[in-house]
Amino acid sequence: MPLPRLLAGLCLFLTTLFAQGAAPGVSDREIVLGSVQDLSGPAAMLGVPVRDGMLMRIDEANAAGGVQGRRLRLVVEDSAYDPKRAVLATRKLLQRDQAFAFLANFGTPVVMATMPMIVDAGRLHLFPFSPHESTYTPLHPLKFQIFAPYQDYMEAAVRHMVQTRGYKRSCLLYQDDDYGLEVMKGVDAGLGRLGLALVEKTSYKRGATDFSAQVARLRTAGCDLVILATVVRETVAVMSEARKVGWPVDMLVTASGYSAQTHELGGAAVEGLFGISVLPHPYADGANSALADWVRRYRSRYGAEPNVWSAMGYSIADLFIRAADAAGRELSTAAFVSALEQLETTRDFFGSPAYRFSADDHLGNRHGRLAQIRGGRWEILSDYLK
Amino acid sequence: MMRLRGVVVATLVLLGAMLAFGADHALGQATLVATYAIAGLGLAVIVGQAGQIVLGQGALVAVGAYVEALLAQRGVPPFISIVLAMMAGCLAGACASLPARRLGGLYFGMSTLAFAMIVEEVLTRWESLTRGGAGLSVPALGWAGMEAVTPLAQFLISAAALVLALVLCRRLCAGRIGRAWRAVREDEVAAAEACGIDLVRAKLAAFAVGGALAGLAGALYAHWIGFISPEQFGLFFSFELLMLVFIGGARHLRGAVLGALVIVSLPQFITLLRDVLPGDWGRSAGVESVLFGLVIVLVVLLRPQGIAAKGRAG
Repeated sequence: MPLPRLLAGLCLFLTTLFAQGAAPGVSDREIVLGSVQDLSGPAAMLGVPVRDGMLMRIDEANAAGGVQGRRLRLVVEDSAYDPKRAVLATRKLLQRDQAFAFLANFGTPVVMATMPMIVDAGRLHLFPFSPHESTYTPLHPLKFQIFAPYQDYMEAAVRHMVQTRGYKRSCLLYQDDDYGLEVMKGVDAGLGRLGLALVEKTSYKRGATDFSAQVARLRTAGCDLVILATVVRETVAVMSEARKVGWPVDMLVTASGYSAQTHELGGAAVEGLFGISVLPHPYADGANSALADWVRRYRSRYGAEPNVWSAMGYSIADLFIRAADAAGRELSTAAFVSALEQLETTRDFFGSPAYRFSADDHLGNRHGRLAQIRGGRWEILSDYLK
Repeated sequence: MMRLRGVVVATLVLLGAMLAFGADHALGQATLVATYAIAGLGLAVIVGQAGQIVLGQGALVAVGAYVEALLAQRGVPPFISIVLAMMAGCLAGACASLPARRLGGLYFGMSTLAFAMIVEEVLTRWESLTRGGAGLSVPALGWAGMEAVTPLAQFLISAAALVLALVLCRRLCAGRIGRAWRAVREDEVAAAEACGIDLVRAKLAAFAVGGALAGLAGALYAHWIGFISPEQFGLFFSFELLMLVFIGGARHLRGAVLGALVIVSLPQFITLLRDVLPGDWGRSAGVESVLFGLVIVLVVLLRPQGIAAKGRAG
């Protein structure tokens, strides 16, 4: 037999051999979970606290006896925001670790490259950090999302801001990618419902540090509200530039700019910035007793201050634990899906929204809250905007 | 004999990886190793054979990936779309080589960097075609009801393409154009004046071959990953390919395969190693990157001419 045919036959045999007898990640004593995070790439400052928050909640659950008598084991792989590494990491989690579900996979390129592989393997794809609508629509039994789409909450937020504060000339500064375009759709829709339109819009490329041209353009257009589809560093840079040139315009940033790092980096320059929160930042000062205790435990465990990303990671793991517990001892993918679709959460000590799924809708939340930086910290100004 | 030994070693490595990682994971890695090796092979021709500095090879891979993605979305059969992707890569490579008429050395390298930035910018800005930063979903490679969706099928396709690419490059390097490339690499002035080699044509040919292979790699990459966006083909990707070629051995065609093995598979082996580390040390952020960097430094120190080279340092 020719060598290539022999090798191909050998590979096919091994594939079949290894594919047989695969467990879905649930044994009598353990549930294996997988997560592909950015721990060393451009978004590591977000991915690391997400992982830490998830691990903290899982270790707490294990210390309390696990879920229905099973310990949880979260295997986290680092993609460094690289789809190629993410694909390999996902294959490892699927085949070697036999992950029952994937939690909070991070980044749109990573999610788009790995999600088909995960659901094709019959595993759950839960609550990814990606605004892409394919994470929850069209309806798929294995896909669930809790992060409100930019388009939805920015539509409500812009409408609320214009109605309550009387802005006449709204403008947009957006990142030139999927994120920026999603925000633009929401802003256009919100203004459109009020019979208004954007007066000016301008973009920047990811990684930009100089925003003088954009700020000058927006100022020339006479904007009285600038909506920012930016992330932390760019938000600080834009606000600093505006204040430097003596332009005291109001600005509203999406949840991507709602971070303690925004006021820590920006200081006085970002004072007064409006933002959208889909989960409040866990400040220790003024916290309720449960939150204060959580902050203390987090600090003690990691030697670092928690942030909104840690809280999101913790909430995601908590949501999984609740649904797995509700699914009962006979845990299967179908039982978990059914339990999650019927789960009724209430606001937790972080101030999260009440997540609701159904058999027809796997997006658990569509709303955000208005916040503002006052006295060097984010203050929540409204309830979840609808 | 050497080739047979190479096949046996590759088979043993693959079997070992299957045992360590599981079949799908190992074949998935092998698929990406082969795909990266094709792109590396193109770079080895330009850098290792023709001696030209290229800092933006990722852009040529991007051109192939986008052409393939757009054609596949429109239902063009892969045996046509992949050829067109290779032609697009070839054309882009030829365009990237144009400054070589007036520039040389690092200055020319900088022009390829600028070319890569232009390509990335076009892919980002031409939203009506590329969907900009939102990226493109790429359907599975397939035709007439058959689709290469299993890791085994994907591996066999990439491996076959790599073998064909290796055979083509070997033939080219052994022929007149290969001798011209090496003459240009050693001394451009002597090559032109003493041997009568047309420098522009030789460099253009190297870039056309390198671009076509980059286009082929990009076309396969687009199908295996299933989603492409401009940021995936940024400068880091170009440097990753350059690192691949130098680690493997820029002057040896098989160096591209060895370099791809290091660049793609080493992080996965480190991941396995991390899983058995005691305590929380293995959970530290970036531990894979640190270990990967250390191994690369060791490889460069011990084999400065690349793994495929025979000599050792010192």
